[in-house]
Amino acid sequence: MGALKLCFVVQRPPYKSENARLALTHSISSQTAEIHLDDGDTIVPTLIFVGDGVLNAVKNQQAMKHYGVTSTENHIKNGLLIDMPVWICKEDMQRLGLTEAQVITDAEEMGAELKMKFASFDEIQKEMEACPHLLFF
Amino acid sequence: MKLAVFLSDLRRTEDTYERLKAEKLGVILVENGIYHAVMKEGGKDSPVLNKAGASFYVLSEDLETRGFTSAQVNPKVKVVNYGDIVDLIMNDYEKTAWL
Amino acid sequence: MGVLTMGVFPSLVGSGTLDFSFKLAEAAMAKGHTVNLWLSGNAVMMAKKGQRAFKDYSHLEKKMMELIGKGMETTVCEACAEARGYHKEDTPPGMKRASMDWYLAKTFKSDRVLHIGGE
Repeated sequence: MGALKLCFVVQRPPYKSENARLALTHSISSQTAEIHLDDGDTIVPTLIFVGDGVLNAVKNQQAMKHYGVTSTENHIKNGLLIDMPVWICKEDMQRLGLTEAQVITDAEEMGAELKMKFASFDEIQKEMEACPHLLFF
Repeated sequence: MKLAVFLSDLRRTEDTYERLKAEKLGVILVENGIYHAVMKEGGKDSPVLNKAGASFYVLSEDLETRGFTSAQVNPKVKVVNYGDIVDLIMNDYEKTAWL
Repeated sequence: MGVLTMGVFPSLVGSGTLDFSFKLAEAAMAKGHTVNLWLSGNAVMMAKKGQRAFKDYSHLEKKMMELIGKGMETTVCEACAEARGYHKEDTPPGMKRASMDWYLAKTFKSDRVLHIGGE
């Protein structure tokens, strides 16, 4: 009986490829992994955006309007809603000229209590050290 | 952590790679990542090979597929086969990161 | 001997990465390791039986069947497959279909995970 921490690290921007979306859907599926596990065992995910992957967290995405597909914004908010830690690299936001006002900070409108964590790469590094397996997307 | 990083491209995810730290770091060059082991752009080694303290490996099958031989590989890099990569993953490092 | 779980996302045709993955799986099994393979994203192209082998395209169905026969547990992302029109009746024998949580659960009892994300 135990918990396995998994880090889902997203490095690439959304939409052109399916890559970022799959990171989101896979990390959210940790909620139902228990059906395949022994009693008491759980998967504990952290979803982390680094490099150009921070662009997934830009808010006001209109993918549904233009392409009829769920936005990564919506998935990120769903992640917060299920209490999945979602981290974004502060240095990469700065490098790309993104401010906190431009990115998702919470999903309060959906009833989520957890907020986006703005983390330094040093903090992200420590989180990766704490995860037995790393899943880079 | 003891981390084996796989690089499979000539360019792309350098920003993550440059910042990753590990007490033991192995960098395994596969697919188009093998160019880091053989090219000298502007007469210089690939910046990938400047990662302090890392051990570098390149997959022989992917070198040869792309027209290079072991003789052309940078002396910092060890040439390995698939079986060697299995041993690196299962015995020498604790986790992997395919960047 | 250990357990290696590989999650692979790039496509069969259009990428060389699946070839890499199958060769690595084969090498790991030859050394006595147990290999679990999760195919998701464009890698679900493997979930269509009867693919014709041309020399200008990667062709791995035969190799995959060989490895499944030797005990490689191979599971494809059901939603990713259905989205591409690969249905249950298209699935090669021995390959399983499951939702993404199967893969995460497999990592729980794996000594090593090699996650090869998409492009």
